[in-house]
Amino acid sequence: MTLDPQRTKAAGAAIVRYRDVVKRFGALQVLNGVTLSVHAGEVVCLIGPSGSGKSTLLRCTNGLEMLDGGAIEFEGTLLPRDERGLRAMRARMGMVFQSFELFPHLTAEGNVAEGPRSVLGMSTAAARARAAALLAKVGLADKLASYPSALSGGQQQRVAIARALAMEPDVMLFDEPTSALDPETIGEVLSVMKTLADEGMTMVVVTHEMSFARRVADWVAVFDAGRIIEQGPPRQIFDAPEVERTRDFLSHLGWSG
Amino acid sequence: MTLDWSVVWQHRDALAAATGTTFLLTVATMVIAVPCGIIVAVLRLYGYAPVRALATGYVELFRNLPLILVVYWAFYVLPILTGTGLSPLATGLAALALNVTAYNAETFRAGINSIRRGQLEAAMALGMSRAQALRRVVLPQALRRITPVLASTWVSLFKDTSLVSVIAVTELAYVAMQVRAQTFRVLEMLTAMAAIYWLLGYPQAKLVDWIQRRYAVTE
Repeated sequence: MTLDPQRTKAAGAAIVRYRDVVKRFGALQVLNGVTLSVHAGEVVCLIGPSGSGKSTLLRCTNGLEMLDGGAIEFEGTLLPRDERGLRAMRARMGMVFQSFELFPHLTAEGNVAEGPRSVLGMSTAAARARAAALLAKVGLADKLASYPSALSGGQQQRVAIARALAMEPDVMLFDEPTSALDPETIGEVLSVMKTLADEGMTMVVVTHEMSFARRVADWVAVFDAGRIIEQGPPRQIFDAPEVERTRDFLSHLGWSG
Repeated sequence: MTLDWSVVWQHRDALAAATGTTFLLTVATMVIAVPCGIIVAVLRLYGYAPVRALATGYVELFRNLPLILVVYWAFYVLPILTGTGLSPLATGLAALALNVTAYNAETFRAGINSIRRGQLEAAMALGMSRAQALRRVVLPQALRRITPVLASTWVSLFKDTSLVSVIAVTELAYVAMQVRAQTFRVLEMLTAMAAIYWLLGYPQAKLVDWIQRRYAVTE
């Protein structure tokens, strides 16, 4: 891909590189040749109508879905196909799900400490200390002992972010992190994500929050029917989209620039 | 017809010992059948095809045989298979464990299947192996969810241990029947037996209800 003058962080190393990624579910072609790169410290937002393949691309990134064609490179290495190799790679990518997927039988602290303990082999005390620090970072220092069922959606999603951060990942994957939230709690999750971005975390975010993408993203890719129909800096995508379909999609969302 | 309840009191020691054996059989059966049930369920869900078929065959065989038949089968066949004579207690325990393991395996399988796929994915996204995800995330939730089913299995088992009386295991039913045969106090002994089973079974059922409420997981 040619270096875009507006993409300042693209000078850094590519953390994730998608090349002609193809994914099918049975007869349904979900990804139809997607090429995109994510550089160190960048926030890349994937937008587009439901069913256009954004979430599937994200799930292919850490091997929750297997590719049918093309390639994904993570830090210069092809995504492994064997269990062991995949596990090692997943441990360096954080993932945040639309439906949180906190472990309901563990407290907030237990949720965050679980990865460091069982995957990194950290001692219980060290894992708990890390969990406490991360929960404080996402504004939940007083919820260490709370079970997920006692937390609001926004709080649960912040715990989920802390859980992913506990692995000290090189990239964070967000799969529509605010789509399942009440409007009043969306802001607290987005602000945690903004803080992360400001700290230089590399992030790939599937989102319908256009103002977030406009404000925080370094690069935006617009999906339609399994392809990226347009990608560029947010200013281009939101203020001067070059592709008709992008304009349609944004105007359907009531985006007025 | 005159009733003579003193016969129950006269045989209190034998009945107490037999009640102990009934408890022992119940506990020992569950101690075997819970972990084995988990193993069979996991093999049936995640094993290689032949292993899966074997586990499925085992479950479907023992779930659909009358327990009393399995007890007789164990009594006559196990000595031939093992080449040694097992005690009636060990034989009865083997029969009960074979039967309850099959039931528990189905219970665990349903429990594991009831945990959303996203939970497994969240665990794997952290870098856990499938086995770790099962052990740390899926099974603890499944166990809590199926506690009520395990509880009713427990209470059924407590009563079903009486079936091993047919191979002369000296548990409560066998001993009560022996006393009945020696004294001809049929109504007294049957009533006493019913009272003992009920008085012991009911609190167990209540206890299990309490455990279930205590450890319930809300989402």
